Amino acid sequence: MGTMEQKLNEELKQLQREIEVCEAEQDSYVRSISLQHGEALRGVLQTLYNKKEKGDGTLKKDVSKLITDITDTEKDLRRQTNISGITLTECCVKTLEKNERKTIQQYRLTGHCCFLSFQVEFALVDIQDSDSSLQKITDLNVILDGAEFKDLCAFVSRVEETKSLFLFFRTLRLFSERCKQRSCTLQYFKEKYPDVVRLPEGCRSEVMMIQSPKLPGCTMSIFWKISVSKEGVVQPKLELLMKMPEQAQKMDTNNVMETAPEAFRSLLKIFGVEASIESLIKSVCF
Amino acid sequence: MDIVRKQGVFDHLLMLEKAGTAGQEKQKQDHLKELHAAILTLRAKRERLFAETAALKDLKDKLDQGLPLEEEETDDFMQLEQFLLKSRLMQLKDLQTVYHLIGGYNLIESKQGKSVCVSFRTAFEGMYLETYNLEMDLRRTVQISRHNIPPCVPLERLAKEHLQADFKAFLEILSLHLNALAGRKQQVLLIKELIGTVEIIERNQLCNFLVFMCKIQEETEAAVLCTLEYGDLTQCLPTRVTIESENKTLAESPQWKKNQVLLMESPVHSALLTMRKVGSIV
Repeated sequence: MGTMEQKLNEELKQLQREIEVCEAEQDSYVRSISLQHGEALRGVLQTLYNKKEKGDGTLKKDVSKLITDITDTEKDLRRQTNISGITLTECCVKTLEKNERKTIQQYRLTGHCCFLSFQVEFALVDIQDSDSSLQKITDLNVILDGAEFKDLCAFVSRVEETKSLFLFFRTLRLFSERCKQRSCTLQYFKEKYPDVVRLPEGCRSEVMMIQSPKLPGCTMSIFWKISVSKEGVVQPKLELLMKMPEQAQKMDTNNVMETAPEAFRSLLKIFGVEASIESLIKSVCF
Repeated sequence: MDIVRKQGVFDHLLMLEKAGTAGQEKQKQDHLKELHAAILTLRAKRERLFAETAALKDLKDKLDQGLPLEEEETDDFMQLEQFLLKSRLMQLKDLQTVYHLIGGYNLIESKQGKSVCVSFRTAFEGMYLETYNLEMDLRRTVQISRHNIPPCVPLERLAKEHLQADFKAFLEILSLHLNALAGRKQQVLLIKELIGTVEIIERNQLCNFLVFMCKIQEETEAAVLCTLEYGDLTQCLPTRVTIESENKTLAESPQWKKNQVLLMESPVHSALLTMRKVGSIV
């Protein structure tokens, strides 16, 4: 009796293994079809959605359920995009290894946060033991696009070294919010004081120049840097630089040129960024 | 009289024994029947899956070669619809998984929209740590009904400050607190794992106060006491580091001034590993 039971159990296990392999094969075909032919098949899918909307009775029950699952998941994804501030445009998943205990999957993501684009590649190891489970990122690779990123090299290297995926996206969001804030503020002042304010590198840059048309040689340049430390601390830093032609310098009895940067820093502490910049601009509008 | 009674008892016992083994036999037979049935079911499932996978492969080959899809074969087309829908759903589910992996919130609304359950994932340096859950009642105002957030996290204060005004901000700040807590806890674990020679003297639940002792040299008793205070609960880095030692000159040395800065600017375990590498500690 014992051996009969054993034989049957073995056959059962064998069938389960074969089924797992088959399901995994199906999964990979399905993923590959949607990856390579997603666009072409969208038309077919749309017809199906429309059928369901109209309450077409010809739809089979499981097809109808699939469509419901799809619309629910799409709704959740819109919410995720809204809450995280991150839009994912492309996502490739490949299963590198899968057995009873361990699964290794490779992810490649493309997306953007505000107007900053990124490409991230990482491997996720998932180990399930009888009493514990472990999830770990191995192999993290980050590629960033855009002029704003020249100051992020140290941070990105550190993130890749420590595989800190969470920290990367958290910091990316904070950083892009600050960049957006900076860009909006610079744009606002340019539009409000078009004669006095110049943005030599556009509104997405760090530099804003204030120059009264009545004093051509004298310029005030504000450098608005957004620095990110190695450990992901985002800090805006504003500095003022003044330029005056020699003649004006000779008349500078109060030593305004040298004391201006420090005075600006104090102004920032008390009144904040916008008010301080506004007062600087107003000081040359006479 | 006694003998008759005893015989009766023995007969009764024999009867029970027979009934027992018969029961066991029946159980074994039933079990084998179940196994047979399970095998038949799985065989059928396997056949179905093999056929589906073959059809799927055909479809993929046709698409790869750029052949048009024939809508006349209604049976095939029905299958095609299913595959396409499954493939679209899988793509969306992958995206969902990715959002959880990179952002960490999982929101599940109850059927009538009366409540929502939010899961917060925490992670530190690539290692995923605890998940915390929060259930919120959405009926009149947004209120927290159940949660498993540790008491050392100021949940009530955060809810008071942010929950009604800005739901997103509340989630963000709570996630920051939880992730920072998990990060600080993990750093202490890593100290024990990676640098066995360091002795942890004092730590607390909130992991915002840490005192440990480092040995300077193997044989001597020379040691340095480091106190780390984490004033900002949303950060994994300390806001104050104090170095003390019986050997005053050591504590004031430029090497240890550097170490103090290192402890302020990088996670504890990384700082200690660097200090060991340069020979400041053993």
